[in-house]
Amino acid sequence: MQALLAFENAPPFAAPLRFFLTAPLFGVLAGLLIAFEGADVFASRWMPGALAATHLITVGFMLQVMLGALIQILPVVAGANLRQPLLIARLVHVGLSAGALMLAAGFLLGLPQLLGGGAVVLGMTVLAFLIVTAIALRGVPTTSPTIRGIKLSLFSLFAVVGLGIVMSLALAYGWPLPFSALTDLHAGWGLGGWAAVLLAAMAFVVVPMFQLTPGYPARSSWWFPIIMLAMLVVWSAALLLDLSVLARLGQLGAALAGIAFALQTMRLQAKRRRARPDATYRYWQLGLISSIFALFLLSTAALWPTAAELEGWTLVFGVLLVAGGFLPFITGMLYKIVPFLSWMHLQNTGQAKVPAPAMNKILAESGMHRQMLAYGLALILLLAAVFFPAWLARPAGLAFAVANGWLWWNLFSAIRRYRSHLADISRKLAAL
Amino acid sequence: MVVKAHPLWRNENEPSIAIGHAMTTIRSFMTDDHRRCDDLFADAEQAVAKKDFTLAGAAFGHFQSAMLAHFDSEEKTLFPTFEAKTGMSMGPTQVMRMEHVQLRALMNDAVDALKAGNSDDYLGLADTLVIMMQQHNMKEENILYPMCDQHLSDELPAVLERLETELCEE
Repeated sequence: MQALLAFENAPPFAAPLRFFLTAPLFGVLAGLLIAFEGADVFASRWMPGALAATHLITVGFMLQVMLGALIQILPVVAGANLRQPLLIARLVHVGLSAGALMLAAGFLLGLPQLLGGGAVVLGMTVLAFLIVTAIALRGVPTTSPTIRGIKLSLFSLFAVVGLGIVMSLALAYGWPLPFSALTDLHAGWGLGGWAAVLLAAMAFVVVPMFQLTPGYPARSSWWFPIIMLAMLVVWSAALLLDLSVLARLGQLGAALAGIAFALQTMRLQAKRRRARPDATYRYWQLGLISSIFALFLLSTAALWPTAAELEGWTLVFGVLLVAGGFLPFITGMLYKIVPFLSWMHLQNTGQAKVPAPAMNKILAESGMHRQMLAYGLALILLLAAVFFPAWLARPAGLAFAVANGWLWWNLFSAIRRYRSHLADISRKLAAL
Repeated sequence: MVVKAHPLWRNENEPSIAIGHAMTTIRSFMTDDHRRCDDLFADAEQAVAKKDFTLAGAAFGHFQSAMLAHFDSEEKTLFPTFEAKTGMSMGPTQVMRMEHVQLRALMNDAVDALKAGNSDDYLGLADTLVIMMQQHNMKEENILYPMCDQHLSDELPAVLERLETELCEE
């Protein structure tokens, strides 16, 4: 218990940082892939290029940051200390990056063995992560909605990766499976059960913290993860029992839960008490609005399935939810977390004898703001490319690559400044 | 007199916090004081947003003295009692003391930035201060105060009374 609050238990900066600096590069790759493949990517969600780009973003970017952030945050919010966080971070980072590349290449080149291999590498990596996390979380009481959300999201992570492995092996070995329905369910567990529940668990902490808003109401934050998982269980059971109406009910429930969470967050953000809207706040606004539109599309399709057969429906939904929703949420958080962790590590190096520079000296607001405008433009182009692929697919891909490259540059520059301040502080300490 | 935090701003996140006055714990009492400090900080932010640096300076001054009183009550009353009872003197309380040092330094820098009328510097420091303060509060509210409640159950009425007096004197 003594060690719970010790700074020494915060993992070394290098542990989460490698994930944060790699993720935007996967965004660049996804953009370049779209630019290279052109209009074909937007022909249908089943196109090799679309599947490859989707997994570069969801695994290479999203999962990457989420696992890195969990390694950082588990000791702080849950008092769950991973043993040897740096070693775990190294292994998970390599496995995740290699697995994401293999998976994307397998989709793109139509090589089932590569696809299956990538899925197995990812599966082993995630399983190893889940085991060390479960050991760290063993005996941690569920005293807050955040801890509950983290625990439940990890269960969903197991489900989404498990489904992914089954499907990729089925493709490799030619097992007959209802791929379309299983893919929807795989996406549901991944985006709903894992990403949205983890996002909410983090939001319960960081929305009030970053924006000085009131806290989330206890009841809704306590129930959101449970409702989301219950809907996914209903959806999964319906698929097994071949009850399509029940499956749609599960989808509808998950979509409505997501909308309720997004509206709640908007309501709290409207009561924020910071002096000036910053890039994080604006990124979250973008994410909330896009997610609400995306989930509205999902609810409509659940009630009226023919809607989903309309041209571009599913692609617009996917772009809105992932590129419009999750990526802005994640980027907004990275823009606070990276400068704050830099400051915290500098502060601790300085031992209160040599002052650390404030966060805006590590990463200036103007740089973040301009990158956000570039990202907004890329998002608009991606959405328009669904309808005018021949004209806009390549520019949209390039714009997405540029916006992600810019994000990488911003984070990398922050770390470069961190390193030079670190050297400076060490020099001054030695001279004292 | 300790001003109770407005119910809107109380941390609704923690269902285990006793709602109402049925049972005051160290956790609920000190958490309320954190929220009161948040409110005072928000006043300063609002003044900066309006570019009223005189008002901002005064509001930040109120915030700073509330924070310092909070730190003092912890460092002079709560932490020593906890350390004496549990024998943990190099544990969580020591980490909290170190974070108090960092927070005091950040507040001093922010005061200087406000005096110089430099809103960019102030906002950068305020950003750092907010996150540092909130994550510090989170550790106290979720880990240290519950430990205090657990270990100091016999001393609870006396400790609460002293904390209340100290936080009112300011």
